[in-house]
Amino acid sequence: MEKYFDVTYIWDTLPQLIPFLKVTFMVAGLSVLFGTILGFILALMKLGTSKIAKKIANCYTTIIRCTPSIVLLFLVYYGLPAIASNFGTDLNTLQTAVFVVITFSIQFGALMSEVMRTAYEAIDRGQFEAAVSVGLSPAQAFRRIVLPQAFVVALPNFGNSFLELMKEGSLAYTIGLVDIMGKASLIISNNYNSHSLEIYLGLSLIYWVLSILIEQLFSKLEKIFSKGKQLIKTT
Amino acid sequence: MSVGLDYQFLVKTFFIALSGVPTALIITIVSLLIALPLGFLLALSRINRIPVISQLARVYVSFVRGTPVIVQIFIIFTSVPLLLKPIFEEYHVKTNIYDINPIWYAFIVFSLNTTAILIEVFRSAISTVSKGQLEAAYSVGLNNVQAFRRIIIPQTLVVALPNICTATVNLIKATSLGYALSLKEINLRAQVAANVGYNYIEAYIDIFLVYLLLCSLVEYLFKLYEKRVRKYKAVDA
Repeated sequence: MEKYFDVTYIWDTLPQLIPFLKVTFMVAGLSVLFGTILGFILALMKLGTSKIAKKIANCYTTIIRCTPSIVLLFLVYYGLPAIASNFGTDLNTLQTAVFVVITFSIQFGALMSEVMRTAYEAIDRGQFEAAVSVGLSPAQAFRRIVLPQAFVVALPNFGNSFLELMKEGSLAYTIGLVDIMGKASLIISNNYNSHSLEIYLGLSLIYWVLSILIEQLFSKLEKIFSKGKQLIKTT
Repeated sequence: MSVGLDYQFLVKTFFIALSGVPTALIITIVSLLIALPLGFLLALSRINRIPVISQLARVYVSFVRGTPVIVQIFIIFTSVPLLLKPIFEEYHVKTNIYDINPIWYAFIVFSLNTTAILIEVFRSAISTVSKGQLEAAYSVGLNNVQAFRRIIIPQTLVVALPNICTATVNLIKATSLGYALSLKEINLRAQVAANVGYNYIEAYIDIFLVYLLLCSLVEYLFKLYEKRVRKYKAVDA
């Protein structure tokens, strides 16, 4: 009888999967880029004076937070082409990666808007007032005083959200994107489902190492940027 | 591709999706019941630096937080039968391993997953309660269990509640991955209904609505409970 569990399979799958990290990173990177822009706009809406804008932004965040990524993914995947076909454009030929990026930008935007809002609110109002009172314009005060401090506050949460995004991104295999998760499920179906455990373990190993590295990176970054903060305090 | 939504199907499938709610809730509740005490105990072991358990808990948390839930599901789904098979054969259990209700796998996966998240939640929450509180409790003659039950846990709960709420909502959302276990929850039920006429958009709108309702309700309940717990704090202070 064949052995059920063979450790060598774990090592064999790693070199097959690692080239596909490129796709995972590309999707995650683009989603972070667009998501951060969206999050910034939403955060502005939440912090602004307009009550309607605030309501809309809060509603958006609640709705997205209550939706499982996989459901959002399929809604975008099936929904967007259907909406577009009403306007006479055909989106069915679009690459799946585009839908994945759209989905996770929508999701990351909601996360980021909260991260940015809390970071902005964590900075004492007096900082801004002090900056204006020494003659900076409001825009300058925001750019030179509030932003650098808010950035440090936001950094750990940004890191967490990024990790979350990378992990949720694995669900993109369901609509046929071939990232590391997609490649793993392809290998498994090529093997007629044998040794799937080893392949999944190899996959989890990659994710694990990756998330530890990203965590380390963000804690390093946090240290670098907090240094300035300490200097201001001591002088 | 059809233009416009099939409203009849939309309404019909909404109730099909709704019929998956009990499954999602059972998984959530069972997982929380297992994960809450386990997470709390392991958090204590991390704080008190109990050798071996503390390190194991640390690796465990790092692994669960570092890998996607879907991969965890697949790992449990493929490894548990392999582990159980020799045990079943040894003790001549007649049940076929592959006939086990998938809900048992869901219980295992989601309670393991939630435990890891709650360890971190409780760890940060317990560390916000000052050590003086415990010492004061001892000095008035409470024993260890009493001190924790009456002094530490109520204070920890206030801090931890928002995070427990997030963990619960995430758990409910994660049950949507139960389709990978061929578990008949909200997602799969609606998908199966949609398979007949390719009405995927309607089906996913329904699933979306059901999750939205469910999660907002849970968030609302937690907010109510939080208010109640916080009231005590205001009186104390």
